Amino acid sequence: MLGALVALLYPIPFERSGQIYYETVGFLVLLNAMLGIGWNIIGGWAGQFDFGPSIFFAIGAYTAALLTINLGWNAWLALLGAMVVSAAICAAVTYPVTKLRGHYFAIATVAMWMIAQPIGATWPLINGSQGLFIPVATGGGFVHGVLTMEFPGRGKGLGFYYLSLALFTITLLAARAIERSKWGFYFRAVRDDQDGAEAIGIDSRLYKVIARCLMAVVFAAGGTLYGFWALAVFPDQVLEVNWNILPMMAAVVGGLGRLWGPVLGAVVLIPISQLMATTLGTGPLAGRGIDLIIYGAIIMVIAGWRPNGLLSLPWSEWAARLRGHASASGKA
Amino acid sequence: MGLLYALVAVGLAIIWGLMEMINFAHGEFMMLGMFGAWGLSAWLGWDPLITMVPLAVVMYGAGVLVYRVLMQKVQRGEMFTQIFATVGLFFFIQNGVVALFTSDYRFINASLLTRLSGVNLTVGGVRIGVPLLVGGLIALALFLILYLLIDRTDFGLALQATAEDRDAAMLVGIRPQRMYAVAWGLGTALVAIAGVILANFFSVYPQAGLSFTVLAYAIVALGGFGSILGTLMAALLVGVVQSVTAAYLPPAFKDAFVFASYILIGLFRPQGLFGRF
Amino acid sequence: MRILRVIVAVAVLFFVAVQLGPGARAAGPVSEVLIGELLPLTGNFASLGQQYLWAGQTVEDIVNNDYPDLKVPLGPGKGFPGLGGAKMTLVVRDDQSRGDQARTLAEQLITVNKVHWLNGEGTSGNTSIIQPLVESYGIPMTCHACASPTLTEKGFKWFYRTGPNDGTMVASVFQFLKEWPDHGGPKDLKTIALFTCDNLFCQDNRKIALDLSEKAGYKIVADLTTKTGATTLASEVQRLQSANPDVLFSVQYPAETTIFQADMKRANYMPKVLATSNGAYSDQTWLNAQKATNGAAAWLGRDPTAIDLASKKPSWKQVNEIYKKYSRGQDMGELAMREITGMLWMADTINRAKSVEPAALAKAANETDMKPDMMIIDYKGIKFDKNRQNELATGVVTQIGWDNDKHTIWPWDLAAQAGFKTMYPAPSWPERESHKK
Repeated sequence: MLGALVALLYPIPFERSGQIYYETVGFLVLLNAMLGIGWNIIGGWAGQFDFGPSIFFAIGAYTAALLTINLGWNAWLALLGAMVVSAAICAAVTYPVTKLRGHYFAIATVAMWMIAQPIGATWPLINGSQGLFIPVATGGGFVHGVLTMEFPGRGKGLGFYYLSLALFTITLLAARAIERSKWGFYFRAVRDDQDGAEAIGIDSRLYKVIARCLMAVVFAAGGTLYGFWALAVFPDQVLEVNWNILPMMAAVVGGLGRLWGPVLGAVVLIPISQLMATTLGTGPLAGRGIDLIIYGAIIMVIAGWRPNGLLSLPWSEWAARLRGHASASGKA
Repeated sequence: MGLLYALVAVGLAIIWGLMEMINFAHGEFMMLGMFGAWGLSAWLGWDPLITMVPLAVVMYGAGVLVYRVLMQKVQRGEMFTQIFATVGLFFFIQNGVVALFTSDYRFINASLLTRLSGVNLTVGGVRIGVPLLVGGLIALALFLILYLLIDRTDFGLALQATAEDRDAAMLVGIRPQRMYAVAWGLGTALVAIAGVILANFFSVYPQAGLSFTVLAYAIVALGGFGSILGTLMAALLVGVVQSVTAAYLPPAFKDAFVFASYILIGLFRPQGLFGRF
Repeated sequence: MRILRVIVAVAVLFFVAVQLGPGARAAGPVSEVLIGELLPLTGNFASLGQQYLWAGQTVEDIVNNDYPDLKVPLGPGKGFPGLGGAKMTLVVRDDQSRGDQARTLAEQLITVNKVHWLNGEGTSGNTSIIQPLVESYGIPMTCHACASPTLTEKGFKWFYRTGPNDGTMVASVFQFLKEWPDHGGPKDLKTIALFTCDNLFCQDNRKIALDLSEKAGYKIVADLTTKTGATTLASEVQRLQSANPDVLFSVQYPAETTIFQADMKRANYMPKVLATSNGAYSDQTWLNAQKATNGAAAWLGRDPTAIDLASKKPSWKQVNEIYKKYSRGQDMGELAMREITGMLWMADTINRAKSVEPAALAKAANETDMKPDMMIIDYKGIKFDKNRQNELATGVVTQIGWDNDKHTIWPWDLAAQAGFKTMYPAPSWPERESHKK
């Protein structure tokens, strides 16, 4: 519960000092953690590597934007719309592809991403590379902000932080429920031994689709959130390679297949990259990419040192030892 | 062009197709090859066709080094950590080059191939540029050598054995670590050679790697895992699809069509064209 | 849960680290004017970002140091006289050519570093991402070299642009083509082909060009859009060859332009007129690389400045010397010129405002009426229209000669001053080869 308290109170000191930027960092952490959890469903639990989840991120962002701009829908309804559309498209394109196994499936997801790029850049409906702009709402208080997902003025950082916290929590709870349910069991069966699973009657193709579309729904929600945050949806933004890699990396760093894995991963990776970008990416060494070099080095070190993810560190032992020390010194 | 893609892809075919190790930084090694060729050409005036050999040797060493220092440790864990580690490698190498050379575009001006640029050979009504042809022939030659190596020698058999079943391979006395290291070395060397050749036609800059990496992955998968020949065929196919698409449809969709074909073929042949597993 | 404790621990550590980071600036009289520079220093647009950075460093140098006979704003004297000699400090951030990173860093610059003015991003696409943010915080923002017209047409109150936008610039190319027959040019240019990349900047250009082509009565024989990051353009060249336009209007970034040239050479394809708009044409690095192969001879394009004439000004030469200190010896290209001019304007505005309060800055900016003799670039002046676009920046049309330099060919009075005879038709590849020797 301490964690929940920290998460809730995190933005307060920044509000007071006006350093809204840190709230945005928090927003990014939560967004990526949420995406990471979503990715974990297909990648960690079902064991199918999806390298192109950003297409659903983009579908979510564009659907929500189109619904809001052209049909005037409320932001939350647009969010639901985005999630539904994303799931539908996911089901349609994923089913045929589930014939492929392992690496082949992974490349197919990359293929989808590569196909989505020129579509995004040239399709007139979504205004191609000129992007869609969500009209900026002016005025209105906090409650109005929550209702429309737009927080004019300085409340933006704060508003989106809590918004992402809410969506993140919902995703986390949903994931937890799925993990313990029959679906979770089926996913893991497919991952560990696909032929064996099929032998006992589990339709691996169906469950791969379900797993991927659950991820698609999460990504669509994330995309919608991002769209309203950025107030603009550009194809090269939402289809960007980082939306493919970061959630995946967060899951891997934290511990693949573990519920909290992506959360830990996001909490570690994003502040590091932000810190690097702002301290080392500036000044006389700017433009030399030093921050990214170090970022890369850190990643390699973590990967080499803890190939099973940071969660695999013996936290419980350490905690027990700490407690043991405390009680020992207390008694002595 | 297809032959050049093949060269880029074949390095990956060994590391990934055969040994199942994902290398996100594949294109970066190619880029290093390009920079090496440019550097030696600009500072020492050596023609890339010659520098190809020493650079290949150096990059072989680099590949082995990367394996021993990084990938060996990573193999202990999840498959995914490999991706993660190589993503780190990707950032590291690309920006290392940026730090040393900045992101400016550079060109090789004085090599044999660039001097031949514009010279064409007309074969049966089709005009082929000589430099590309030369590059393609080199690629083909390397391919053949590789194919013979993998398929016909004991060493190649050992590589394949390790790929199929590591433990069984150990039982017959093959040391898997060594196999992996060699595979990495070979893969890196090959893709660096590709880079050297490509440097004659493309501008040399740090971000050059990524688009080739993605294509290479598609090609290896299309050709099928474990088949060198498959990779070659797939690469040629990709080259053709690209040209045909660009000639009749909006060029922006060139690559998209390549990937769409991949999916289509995948639906009918889930192991790729010639895949073994 | 235990894991939760871990996360909490990490969060707390981060929290602590943050508090030790850059703190809030104190209120009161400023000794330092903070200018946020948000640039793509790595990634796709890195070579552009670099030139922007050098321009910024040049301006910082000019403002903070005393250059007594330099005829530009704040040349003589140190610092901002209107602010008691306060110095200018650039706060540079690299957004890796990514929009979401740009947005986050913009927020950091404004809320943590508390910059007084934000200069960036450098490319039209990413700049439009950060516009709403900066607008909501209410500090002045500029991107002098971003050419997309939409940036000043969305009603933002805090975004200023001193450079011309593509609406006017592309129009000048077509104007030139229209008037050319009366000034010794070819009379039979009837067909045109468009060759553009797929991002915001190229597509904006394409829309304008499509519109103007139709109005001018050209027959559009091809309209090709390519994906940024293409590895080969050979088939596109083939298509263009068979369409055989009289005029090829190409908008591509440097990397793709290089591939395109190589493929053109192999196919021995060269249209009669090769017109372009920014992208590679603005990139000094690309231009320098063309020297060896004469690859750029006869290319003509819109140019914010008649560089051959401007570079005759003594102030241009002086500023160029300063610029070369930072640019590893590269001369100022038109990109740097636009940026330096704009940033010197910014410095002048801050000086006139005698304050760093946004309202005062806006007032001083809106009242701007800068005269051409104080600039190293040849705009007719700086005066903003209601969209905060400089209406006195019009741009010219230049052509690259065999000497690999840009020469003004339009408007005709400036062209007469420049004294360059337009090249037509564009020389073929074999001609370019032989011209080398």
